[in-house]
Amino acid sequence: MPPPDNTAEIRITAEPIDNQRCKFVLSVPVLSGGVRRFAGADEAKGSPLAAAIFAIPGLAVSELIVSGNIVTIVKKSPAPWQAVGQAVGIAIRSALTADVPAVTPARKPAAGEGSAVDDDALYEQVAKVFDEQVNPMVARHGGHVELIDVQDAVVMLRMGGGCQGCGMADVTLRQGIEGMLAQLVPAVRGIVDITDHTSGANPYFQASKK
Amino acid sequence: MEAARQIGVELTVASEQRSTLEAENPAGLLTLDFKNPERAADHVHAFARTYPIHGVVGVDDDTAIVAAWIAERLKLKGNSTHAAEAARDKHRQRLALADAGVPIPRFELHLVAEDPTAIAASTRYPCVLKPLRLSASRGVVRADNAQSFMKGHDRLKAILAEPDAAACGEPALHFLVEDFIPGYEVALEGLVVNRRLHVLALFDKPDPLDGPFFEETIYVTPSTVPTGLQTAIAQCAERAVRALEITEGPIHAELRYNERGPFLIELAARPIGGRCSAVLRFGDKGISLEEIIVRHALGMPIPSLQRERVAAGVMMIPIPGAGTLREVRGVAEAKQVPLVEDVQITAHPGERLIPFPEGSRYPGFIFARGETPATVETALRDAHSRLTFVIA
Repeated sequence: MPPPDNTAEIRITAEPIDNQRCKFVLSVPVLSGGVRRFAGADEAKGSPLAAAIFAIPGLAVSELIVSGNIVTIVKKSPAPWQAVGQAVGIAIRSALTADVPAVTPARKPAAGEGSAVDDDALYEQVAKVFDEQVNPMVARHGGHVELIDVQDAVVMLRMGGGCQGCGMADVTLRQGIEGMLAQLVPAVRGIVDITDHTSGANPYFQASKK
Repeated sequence: MEAARQIGVELTVASEQRSTLEAENPAGLLTLDFKNPERAADHVHAFARTYPIHGVVGVDDDTAIVAAWIAERLKLKGNSTHAAEAARDKHRQRLALADAGVPIPRFELHLVAEDPTAIAASTRYPCVLKPLRLSASRGVVRADNAQSFMKGHDRLKAILAEPDAAACGEPALHFLVEDFIPGYEVALEGLVVNRRLHVLALFDKPDPLDGPFFEETIYVTPSTVPTGLQTAIAQCAERAVRALEITEGPIHAELRYNERGPFLIELAARPIGGRCSAVLRFGDKGISLEEIIVRHALGMPIPSLQRERVAAGVMMIPIPGAGTLREVRGVAEAKQVPLVEDVQITAHPGERLIPFPEGSRYPGFIFARGETPATVETALRDAHSRLTFVIA
């Protein structure tokens, strides 16, 4: 008898951030207790989900971030997310059927192992900016921004309160936080928002009507 | 924002309410009083001395006017304020179109405070009661007789008294009574370049919009309307563009046609809504409508105004009922329907859903793409049938 098809019960919701970045929110966790960032297919060894996504023909994935039940993909392909969403869904579901974990946790660098950027130091600097500047400001609209991790100088953050699901969340991120970090922590190479905006119950501004 | 980013354009985002991070990015975030476009333009004029502005784009009905004032003040590409305001106000629009002989429904302007019994007694039926300034068909009601006119009037009066509607000022004190035009409705998306209208897409609206309220559902392009009629529709829209003196930028027009030919129902000097615009792609690289608009505003080359070959459609998900949204089920199933590319639920848990005509905010959108308009329409309906909105 074939094994039961559990993937049919996995719900995946795509939340495009822009044409390059999209979050896929799964109904099941993929990686508990941490964040894993993949900067290329060579880093996906041992993580079937990442390997399957990097292997999608024509998608030209440049970055993949997995945290909890959220898979964030950054691609180079100009194809709209609507056109490639199903292929991503198939890749994710196929990886979740494997007998091995879909994503292995990030490996801590061994003592003496060099790194081009000191993510721990960046984390401290970004956390300070968030604590002392960003959060007191967004709190005026009932929002908050949580620093999840810094990997390879890329900041992963999650928005909450009035920012979660807010119609202006991307403006806050791109016109506000990104600029602040560029000025205050110039070593930061990028920002990825891993917020599940569809679950925002109290957004400060509503999404557009049409 | 994404379009600007794609082409490497630095952006200043203006909003009515101050961003909490504005002080940290004074070049990129700006607060303007959209209710006073002249003052907003003065503000931008001063702002531009420090942070030069090379183009301006409005994103909705209100900001199209603000953008026109800014364009005029800074001598940027854009419509005159006169044209933008004529397009925004349904009565002024009808006066201009009627003067130019553009086919439109017969209309009368009335005060909300007038005795509705007298209006109902003298009106020709079926008719449509319509506010002057509200968008997305909010407050638009069909009446087939005096009794339904009175009911519709009561509802429209209550809507116009709501704070956001009353904030429109003088226009909220009036409403239009128009002939109901029977027929098939289409939407035309266009870009006006140096007074010439370029049709970017003609959408069929396969669900009849016969009232009593006018909630949109499906838009599918390319249109299946016969070619000759499509030409007549485009010519009708072009006459309207000329009549309103729209010279530059995006337009979105709603037209109906019947055995008497096409009628212009509405024309707005702005693009289709930001969510729905995702259905449109142009040229070999599939560039977005927003990229075309930003390029046009800045005088940059536009790679193509030719929409992609395949059919595409969007469903504005009908408001499933009144109440508080608890949950939406079946999204994953809806996304798996062949040809469906995305299902976006934009209403958030806990949001109060308000049906038409009082409401106008759709709870989400379904997108599909395929070989023919018929298969796209079927996919949209199939996906919608798999959604369940749990409302308390």
